[in-house]
Amino acid sequence: MTSRVLIVDDDNEIRETIVEILTDEGYEAVGARDGYEALAQLRDPEDRWALVLLDLMMPNMDGRAFRAEQLLDPVIALIPVVIVSAMTDVATTAEELHVDAHMTKPVPLRDLIQLVRRYCAAPD
Amino acid sequence: MLQAVLDAARDAVIVVDARGAIEAWNASAETLHGYAGDELRGKPLQMLFAADDPAETLLADARAHGRSAARRWQVRRDGTRFATEVSIQFVPEQEGSPAHYVTVSRDQPDDPRFRLLVENARDYAIFMLDTTGHVASWNAGAERIKGYAASDILGQHFSKFYLDEEIRTGKCERELEIALAEGKFEEEGWRLRKDGTRFWANVVIAPLRDSRGTHIGFSKITRDLTERRAAELDRLSLVRAQEALRLRDEFLSVASHELRTPLVALQLQLESLDIQSGAFEPKLVAKIARARRNATRLADLITTLLDVSRIAEGRLTLSVRRVDLGELVRDVVDRLEESAAVAKNVVVVSGETRLFAICDPLRMGQVLSNLLSNAFKYAAGTPVEIHLERQGDIAVLLVEDRGPGIAENQLERIFDRFERAASMRNYPGMGLGLYVAREIVNAHGGSIRASNRGDGGTAIEIKLPIAKGLS
Repeated sequence: MTSRVLIVDDDNEIRETIVEILTDEGYEAVGARDGYEALAQLRDPEDRWALVLLDLMMPNMDGRAFRAEQLLDPVIALIPVVIVSAMTDVATTAEELHVDAHMTKPVPLRDLIQLVRRYCAAPD
Repeated sequence: MLQAVLDAARDAVIVVDARGAIEAWNASAETLHGYAGDELRGKPLQMLFAADDPAETLLADARAHGRSAARRWQVRRDGTRFATEVSIQFVPEQEGSPAHYVTVSRDQPDDPRFRLLVENARDYAIFMLDTTGHVASWNAGAERIKGYAASDILGQHFSKFYLDEEIRTGKCERELEIALAEGKFEEEGWRLRKDGTRFWANVVIAPLRDSRGTHIGFSKITRDLTERRAAELDRLSLVRAQEALRLRDEFLSVASHELRTPLVALQLQLESLDIQSGAFEPKLVAKIARARRNATRLADLITTLLDVSRIAEGRLTLSVRRVDLGELVRDVVDRLEESAAVAKNVVVVSGETRLFAICDPLRMGQVLSNLLSNAFKYAAGTPVEIHLERQGDIAVLLVEDRGPGIAENQLERIFDRFERAASMRNYPGMGLGLYVAREIVNAHGGSIRASNRGDGGTAIEIKLPIAKGLS
């Protein structure tokens, strides 16, 4: 099972909406509200992750700090990360953090689904 | 011999023993203090000083430092006071000769220069009141500041300078009482000129005493601080206005960010509905489409607010690259096709079809989109023309409509924040579109201006520098 997507966003509504839509589309989607929760999820040896959708501005541990921690841990360093943020300079930040791709909020849903499809095995 | 020299001196010279008793003196000392013969011998030095002006402090000072000097009040035999400059030299005990002091006093006569100084001072009203508050002298400054000639005001009570309500509450009497009790009264407040106008005054009242120490009246010094106060108030109101602007910008920034987050969630839900809408009945599909359109409108408004707040904070960033302005025009026109159709505008594009410039395509697209949205709003049902041309190193983009035009005195102002040429009742909008457009064009090193077409309607002209060697 490699079609699992982690949505990291501190806003409950946005996170749960994306989780719900991706679930509707047949993917296994899970939410995390900050970098700490995201790291804990990714490090669970039972899970296999296909993609992380990462917000940048979050309390406790933000997107930047999360990415730094992720790259230091060889077990999870290779899981693809796509930044989804409302910040204007997402492109620059994406480059700095060496992530796979970036999208600017509000994200057109069709583009988001297409992106998830690229990284995940076809839904069951 | 020594006595002859001392007697020739103009200053009063008095020798005092270690306990402060007078031992010797010269002729000037007798004249100055009004004593004769041997009257002074053995008397305490204090006898020559005013009761409230102890000589002992001066002696102690001289003992400690070898010498002391001060302006003091001294008294004559008949009890009258006079001001002197006193210096005292302490001579310590040496070769059997006991320690003693030599005091030298010089009379400080009234200097006619001071009287001239006071009379001619123009920036200060300096005048005297008698003990009951009636004006007893007047200077040029008083005439200038208060507007009364000396002949108008001499003998009048000084309450003439005060506001009626202050006179009723006994303010004038209270000020004299305080001056008398505390040695000085000072305040800033409103005072009246002869013509009844007010001025903001700094006032100092001090009691005057004669040579015997008897209270003979008051000195009153008044300065007109009206201009200084006005400048201070101007500065304060400027500070307050700037603070209000800062708070508004801060609110704008917080509010637009907070509004956007739930809207992103809402738009995602609506899009998700739209994707699944193949299974819905047509009426429901139309409702979803309408909901999405309005969510998009809301998102555009919030984006504008965010842009305004970025501009206000100097955070407007451009990501520039080589852009074909012809293609950019076509893209924007395509994107706004539906809005044009709704407003029954036909958009006509002419001029260059390929013209390259270095710019941020999203931001320049936003500028053109703002201009077209304005045209659709104010010139609905008429043709809107877009013309692109090159003038040397400048790309010129012209957007013309056949709407009502803009009043000449508004042509500059329409690019200001929250400004709009039309009344708010007839046309919706926040009045920010042209402001954002101007800021984006300026950030590109370009310019934007509005003018009225000869045959009616508005023309907006944007000039952008073309990067050489790119076209």
